Amino acid sequence: MSAGLSAAASVRRVISRAPLFLRYLFIIALALGIFALILVAAGKDPFKAYADTFAYTFGNVYGFSELIVRMIPLLLTAVAVAFPARIGMINVGGEGQLYMGAWLASGGALALSGFPAWALLPLMTLLGFIGGAVWAAIPGILRAKKVVNETIATLLLNYVAPMIISYFVFGPWRGVESSSYPQSPAFSDGARLPSFFNTRIHVGLLFALVSLLAYWAIVEKTRWGVQMRAIGGNPEAAERLGIPLVLYMVIVMAIGGGVAGLAGMGEVSAIQGRLRQGLSPGYGFTGFLIAWLAGGNPLGILLMTFLFAVITSVGDILQITQGLPYSVVNILMAVILFVVLGRRSVRRASR
Amino acid sequence: MKTLKCIAVTVLLAACIAVAPAIAQDKPTLIVGAIYVGSVNDFGYNRSMKDGLEEMKKNIPGLKLIEAENVPETAESERVMENMVQQGAKLIFPTSFGHMDFALNVAKRHPDVFFYHPGGYKVAPNFGNFFGNTQTAWYPIGIAAGKMTKSNKVGFIVGQPIGYALGNVNAFEMGARSVNPKVQTIVVVVNSWSDKSKEAAAANALLDQGCDILTMHVDSPATIIQTAEARGAMSIGFQSIESRKLAPKGWITGLGFTWGKFMTQTAQSVINGTFKPGFVRQGIAEGMMAVAPFGPSVPADTQKLVNDSVASLDKGFNPFTGPIMDNKGVVRIAKGESWGGDKMGDFDWFVEGVIGQAK
Amino acid sequence: MIGVLLRGVLAGSILSGTLLLYATLGEVIVERSGIVNLGLEGILLIGASVAFAIASVTGSAYLGVLAAAAAGGIAMLLFGYLVVGRRANQLATGLAMMFFGMGVSALVGKSFVGGVIAGLPKYRVPWLSYLPWVKGSTLFNWDILVYLAIPVAVLAWWLLFRTRWGLGVRAVGESPTAAFAAGRRPELLQYQALFLGGLLGGVAGAHLSVSLTMTWNEGMTSGRGFIAIALVIFSKWHPLRAIVGAIVFGGAEALQLQLQAQGAQVSPFLLDMLPYILTLAVLIAWGGARRSAAPAGLGRTFYGTE
Repeated sequence: MSAGLSAAASVRRVISRAPLFLRYLFIIALALGIFALILVAAGKDPFKAYADTFAYTFGNVYGFSELIVRMIPLLLTAVAVAFPARIGMINVGGEGQLYMGAWLASGGALALSGFPAWALLPLMTLLGFIGGAVWAAIPGILRAKKVVNETIATLLLNYVAPMIISYFVFGPWRGVESSSYPQSPAFSDGARLPSFFNTRIHVGLLFALVSLLAYWAIVEKTRWGVQMRAIGGNPEAAERLGIPLVLYMVIVMAIGGGVAGLAGMGEVSAIQGRLRQGLSPGYGFTGFLIAWLAGGNPLGILLMTFLFAVITSVGDILQITQGLPYSVVNILMAVILFVVLGRRSVRRASR
Repeated sequence: MKTLKCIAVTVLLAACIAVAPAIAQDKPTLIVGAIYVGSVNDFGYNRSMKDGLEEMKKNIPGLKLIEAENVPETAESERVMENMVQQGAKLIFPTSFGHMDFALNVAKRHPDVFFYHPGGYKVAPNFGNFFGNTQTAWYPIGIAAGKMTKSNKVGFIVGQPIGYALGNVNAFEMGARSVNPKVQTIVVVVNSWSDKSKEAAAANALLDQGCDILTMHVDSPATIIQTAEARGAMSIGFQSIESRKLAPKGWITGLGFTWGKFMTQTAQSVINGTFKPGFVRQGIAEGMMAVAPFGPSVPADTQKLVNDSVASLDKGFNPFTGPIMDNKGVVRIAKGESWGGDKMGDFDWFVEGVIGQAK
Repeated sequence: MIGVLLRGVLAGSILSGTLLLYATLGEVIVERSGIVNLGLEGILLIGASVAFAIASVTGSAYLGVLAAAAAGGIAMLLFGYLVVGRRANQLATGLAMMFFGMGVSALVGKSFVGGVIAGLPKYRVPWLSYLPWVKGSTLFNWDILVYLAIPVAVLAWWLLFRTRWGLGVRAVGESPTAAFAAGRRPELLQYQALFLGGLLGGVAGAHLSVSLTMTWNEGMTSGRGFIAIALVIFSKWHPLRAIVGAIVFGGAEALQLQLQAQGAQVSPFLLDMLPYILTLAVLIAWGGARRSAAPAGLGRTFYGTE
């Protein structure tokens, strides 16, 4: 037991002396190694699983394009967490905000289905942003007024949002041509975000990259960003300096939620082509973990999102070629987090 | 430094193995891919699909089956199916209704891969649609319930209120009423094809209301049947006739899917190059569905009534022949009118005698 | 009619509320020591899958429950190593535990899906269960975990408020440094509280799989871990008030199904939302007063409301 602990300590010392990029590489290698052990214990072949994943995602145009498709909503939900985190607000409500963005954007698509794309798409984008923004503003106000902690409020609203969608796809928005299935009518062509080439990579990628860039620009380059960091560090001091705390909190949460709402709009407009249940396989939570792992660093968010997208592929492969439930890949995600969480210094350095 | 070297070597070795060429294998006659929305061990829908596929595999030597369970009815499924195509699948069964649109997307990208989708309605040159004629088949099952109930209240648990499910309930109630005019079917919707705790709570709620028979249209009848059995109530199964094993005392009968024959035919047609997509609806007569064996407490005269009803269906009897009123008093199927297989997804109302919310 | 509805809701709320109560009690103890466990959902899943697996293999649901408790405790020790030993961020670690629980439970439960077990045996209370109103329902005809739920809540209250150990735990939750100065060992107390919380969380998950549904499904807890976290706040971190909370929330769940079974004309989705909206509404209504009831040192980064 103590031998194991001192081995862990020496590994830690080695890793903390290496440059940042190598550090991340070691963490990933370590996590992959631990996960491989778990797979072996379960009687499966980890090398084949990793090899198949490599072949599918990097040896194959479609596979690689799917990685990018996966990254789009994750980048958005990660920014949705990172932005409010700058002032110390914890937004775990990415799921709900995504759904509400999808809902409002769908409302626009269905109500204005005759509109041409150049009018409808920007409108839907705005609606998607507003949907998510409002859904995040509610917990924002509650927190700013010191009524309810935003972590709990955003968590609870995560469950309410999908039910609102269910109500609409079973009721007022139920598609007629498929009244046998709970979904909205298919969106008109004008409501569909275009994709690139023959893949599913869609314009939402632009939203994601712009959001990430905007996040970086605001936080690093503007006075607003400096103010946010001040608030995040010491709320009382900020208040004494005359910064309107309540307004800040609500606006920042709303922006974060709005970005997550864009993810929802992208999903219904580009990927699904209609509103239905089950839009998000946990994008909101995964985004939280990505943002946290990256320490709020925009480049880190990009890299971690890529990593998580690859992990998704591992899950698919495990399911198809090894007969394990996809969910097992959550262990790999958790192990990566445990390894990082177990090492305080990485987070401090990247902040 | 030494630890560093060890780690680096391990990672390098792993990378080398990762890019090593795959070992050559025997070429199979046909690779068939299947995705399930849940687990195949559910005593229900997914089990029935799995059984059908295994039968197909047994009938065609050299056939390789690749499967993925718990594939949600979302865009995720598209990725999984693409993966199967990459692995060489030439025939894919996306076994749940909600996989339809995503399977179509994959089908469009790969015109040389064939798809047969259960329960949907879209057809393309390489994409066909099949299902069992469940709605009318529920009529004889309703007869069994109508005869066996003592409290005249039967509970029906529905996963999602889609037209096909409502149609099942309607046929069931009509069948029950034909032998017992006082019978009521109480419907509880759990809003999920597979939420076990909701199903247990719904089953308890129905039993609390005085139902003495429970039946369902959810992916797996297991939890509901077990809850009924534990409280001394009777049950009727759906999706897979294996579920009778769960209720040694209370089992009445059930309706199951037997997909094997159809799946074998389809696979064979792909091998022969004669695949033709269609909108296939088959019933008990064609072998796609089966009525489960009766439980120990079902008397012979009831069994005869049920079997006679099944036979009448084969001869063309359609329970959805007007005039039929819904449970709010509005005539939904006019006199002389009759709803056929193509309209089975259009139900958004319940017949007289059903207590429940259709919308 | 109303009588039948009331009986059904009461019966349903006790059945659904039992596991909520165990989960909430565990989290109360944990949070009293100053730690937030957002990963409760993962602990419940681990408990449910392990209980079902062991019950399938050994044929004894009781062994399953014990194994689930142990598994929950061990998982919480892992959580403890990270948040207490390594001072990791509690929220992120909690969410990581949630993913961990989702994955581990899927792996453990995989071979047992579709298995049939006998489930926890039920015991009838001699003449209470034959009373006219009660007869025919599930009231007073429960498994041992239901009967023990309230006694365990009382035990938890006694532990926290009437023992030296409980005083120490609460002191750590208020201020670890003050507790340390007073001669306590904060870290040891926190580990102990976490372990206890894990035992209770494992039992909660076990009740779901070996009693309520007698099956295992990936993700079958459907967010109950998060409801329990909300319930902790609802009950002001007090084990006895948690009983009320668990019944109310179990009841909200049961109400919508009972209403449907009575033919009520309300949308099932709107009814489904009830438990969550209710939690939020209660939190808003009593939010101000509740804040001061929280252990002052809770989570540090978790509690932004001062």
